[in-house]
Amino acid sequence: MAEIQDPTWKELLQQFKKGLEKAIDELEKRDAENIPGAKEALVQRLNNMKLHFPKNNGDIFIKSINDKIQNSFFPNTKNFSEAFDKILKSRTHEQDFIINELLNGFVTSKAKAIASGTQGPIINRMVEAFSKRNDFHIIDHQFYAMFGDPNKPRHYIKNQLEELVKMFGLVSKELVVKKDVRKSEEKVYTFYTFPDDIIEILEEKYLIINEELGYAYVSDAFDRNVFICMFLANVSINRDDLEKIGGSYTINGISAIFALILLLSFMPKLSVDETNPILNDPNFDADNMSVIPKSWMMRQVLEPLFEPLIKIIAYRLGGGLWLTKIIDSEINKKIINQIRFLLKDVNKWILGELVRVEIPIFVEIANIFTEIVVGYDES
Amino acid sequence: MSYKKKSTRTARSGRKREKWTDILPRYLTFISHMRPILRETRRKIIELDADLLLDIEVLDKIRQEEEKRNIRKVRALSEFYTMYRSNVYDIIKDFIIKYREIIPIIDIKDYIIEFLYESIGALNVLRHITNPDESSLEKTFLYVLTKFIEERLFSRGRNMIIIYNKLLEYSSDFYECQRHLLQPHTYYREKLERSDYFEIPGMSPKVYRLINNITSLYNLDPNFGEFPERENQEIPMILKTEVFNPYIDSIANAEEEAINQIAERIGLRVIDEIFLAPKEDLVDIMLENNFLRENKQSDGKIRLLPQLSNETLILYYLALASQRRGFLSKEFINWITMNFAFLIYMGILKWKLSDQNIFYPIFKDLQTNEKVLPYLMKLVCFPNYLSLDKLKIRDSPQYRKEIFSFIGSQIDNLKEFINEIADYCEKFDKERKNN
Repeated sequence: MAEIQDPTWKELLQQFKKGLEKAIDELEKRDAENIPGAKEALVQRLNNMKLHFPKNNGDIFIKSINDKIQNSFFPNTKNFSEAFDKILKSRTHEQDFIINELLNGFVTSKAKAIASGTQGPIINRMVEAFSKRNDFHIIDHQFYAMFGDPNKPRHYIKNQLEELVKMFGLVSKELVVKKDVRKSEEKVYTFYTFPDDIIEILEEKYLIINEELGYAYVSDAFDRNVFICMFLANVSINRDDLEKIGGSYTINGISAIFALILLLSFMPKLSVDETNPILNDPNFDADNMSVIPKSWMMRQVLEPLFEPLIKIIAYRLGGGLWLTKIIDSEINKKIINQIRFLLKDVNKWILGELVRVEIPIFVEIANIFTEIVVGYDES
Repeated sequence: MSYKKKSTRTARSGRKREKWTDILPRYLTFISHMRPILRETRRKIIELDADLLLDIEVLDKIRQEEEKRNIRKVRALSEFYTMYRSNVYDIIKDFIIKYREIIPIIDIKDYIIEFLYESIGALNVLRHITNPDESSLEKTFLYVLTKFIEERLFSRGRNMIIIYNKLLEYSSDFYECQRHLLQPHTYYREKLERSDYFEIPGMSPKVYRLINNITSLYNLDPNFGEFPERENQEIPMILKTEVFNPYIDSIANAEEEAINQIAERIGLRVIDEIFLAPKEDLVDIMLENNFLRENKQSDGKIRLLPQLSNETLILYYLALASQRRGFLSKEFINWITMNFAFLIYMGILKWKLSDQNIFYPIFKDLQTNEKVLPYLMKLVCFPNYLSLDKLKIRDSPQYRKEIFSFIGSQIDNLKEFINEIADYCEKFDKERKNN
C-alpha cells in the first residue's frame, strides 16, 4: 500500500507511459520489418502495455521484477547463501548465457571492470584449482605454483588471488607449520574454501562429499558459472554498499541487462508464412524459439523505451539509491545502444529475423503479462 | 692461439627436435610408462585373494614393494612414475573403503579389475595412435580423428565458398564449438593491428561483440550503395561510426584503429572511409546461403537485402583462418591445436572408459594432460594433419599451465562433440577390424 503514495514510482510509471507513446510515434514513421504484420503487432503490443502497465500501481512490473528477475538472478535478501541458492537453481543451459552476460555486461559498461582482461581466464583457474584437490580447498602456495609466472614478481599472483577471494566471498583458514621441509623455518599456509552454508548448497550436484574418507570431490557440473553465481549473489546482498559492488557502472550495467530481459519477454510472437526460409533453417527450432519483431531495436524506438525502463528496474532493485546512480546523459544512450545487442545466444538473428529462445525467465514474465491482459478482457 | 670450433648450426636452441621422428617418441614416453603400472597393478589385484583387499594395509605394502623396483634414472620420469602409481593405489583404496559395506568384496575386486582393464585399453589406443613411419595413415586414429574434427570445426577446401559451406553445414550441431575454436583464452596476449597484414589472430571477446553489433546493424537499418565490382547492383552498407557508437571511455579504441584488418577478417571492406560493406566473395557466399536476398528496384537496379544470422560473419572468420592456416598468430595456433589434441584425447577416453571408471580423474589430471597434450598438439601440426606451423607451439611449462586451465571451462557443446568423437572411434575401430 505504501507504494501507492510513492511519488517517485508514480513518476517512473508516467515516464514509461510517455516513452511508450514516443516509441509508437517513431514506429509509425519507419518500418524495418520483413514479416507482414510485424510492425502492427508491435504497435499493438506497445499500446497494450500503455494501457495495462500503469494499472494497480504497476503490478506487472512489480511481479515481473520482484518475483521473477530478482528471484532468478538478483535475490532480494541479505543472506548470502540464500541468494546463491536461488541464482544457482535458476541455471539452465540457456540461462547460463544470461548469467555470463551479467558478468560481461560490466566489462563493456566499464573500462576497468571486475572481470576484464586477464581476470576472465582466472575464474577458469579457480575452477581448476578447486578441481585438483580432494578436500575442496585451495592453498595459496598451490595457487602460486599452478598459476604464478616465474618471470614476474610473486605479488602479481598474490594480488590476483586476494582479489578473487574478495570477489567471491571465500573464507580462509591458516595453518602454521613450525618447521617446513625445505628451510626448517616457520611457514604459514592459507587455505581458502567456500563458506559452510555454500558447501551445503553445492553438495549433491556440484560437490560429492564422502564423510568416511573425509574427501570432497567436485563433479563435472562444477564450472565457472558456479563462481559467477557467487559473484552475483555477493553483489545482490551488498546492493546498498556502492563501493563494494563497483559503483554506478555496475548499477547501470545490471539494470540495463534486466531491462533488456523484461522488454524481450514482452515482445509478441509473430507467425511466419509457411514459405518463410527461416522455418527450414537448421538453427531454428520451432519448439523453443519464437520470431519476434525487430523494430524495437531501432535506436529511435529503443531510447524512449529503455531510459525509463532502466530507471524502473534500478528503483525496484535498489530504491532511491540506485535510481540516483542511473547515468542520465549521453553515456546512458551509449549503454542502451550496446545492451540491445547483448544476450546474443537467446536473442539471436536467424536469416535476418530476430528470434527469442523461450527460456524460463522469458516465459514466466510473458505469462504475467498475458494473465493480466486476459483477466482484463474477461472483466 | 686457442682454436674454437664454430658451430655450423643456425637453428635456435630449443627448436632442434621438431621432426616427426623426434616428437612421436616424446609423446610416447609417458604413455608407455603409464601402461605397465596399470598392467602390473591389475596383475597384482587378480592374484590377490579378494578378502585381503579388505585390509587396506595390504595394498600399501604392495605399493611399497613396487616402489622399490623403481629403477628409472631420469628424475622427471621417476617422479612421474611414483606420482602415478600412488594415485592409482589411492584411488583403489578409496573405492574399497567407500563400497566395502555396500558391495561384496568379490564384486569390488571385479570392478577394479574391469576399470584397470578399460584404462589399459585406453592407453593402448593412445600408444598406437599413429605409426612411427606414418604408413597407412588413413588407418590410424590420429589421422582419422584429426580429419573428423577438422571437417566439422576447421574445414578445408579449394576456396572460401567450399570451406564456408562445409562449416555452415555443421553449424547447426556444433556452432558453439566452432565459435569456441575462434576464441583463444589467451587473447589478451594478441595484438589487433599487425604489421604483417596476413597474420590472423583469434577473435577477442570485444571483437566478437563488434561482429555481433555489425550483424545487428545490417539486419536492422542498412544503407545501400553501388556494388563496386558489379554494375546495376547495390550492396548493404553500415556506418563505421555506428558500430563504435556504443563504446564509452575509449574502450574500443584499439578495435577502431584496427577496423580495416578486423573488417577483412569477416569479409568486409571499408568504402569511402566511412562505410562497412561486404566484399565480393562474401556477397557470393551470402547469396548462396540466403543471407542476402535480391530485390529488383523500380529503377531496374538489383538491391541486395541483408538477412544475416548470428553465425554468418563468425563462420567467415573461421573459414578465412582455415584457408590461411599458414598465417595464423602464435596464440591462435596454440589454441587450435590444443583443442584438437584435447578433443582427440578425450574422445578416446570417452570411448574406452565407462563413465563410472574410477581412474578417469587420473587421465584428466593437469599433470597427466601436460605430459601428453603438448606433444599431441605438435603431432597434429604436421602436413598430413592440420598443416600448421608447429614451431609456434610454445614449450614453456608456465604457458601450458595457462592454456590447459581452459579445461575447467568446458562448454556443453564440446562435451556433446566428445561423445560424437567417441561414437566415431567405435565405428572406425569396427571397420578397421573388419577389413
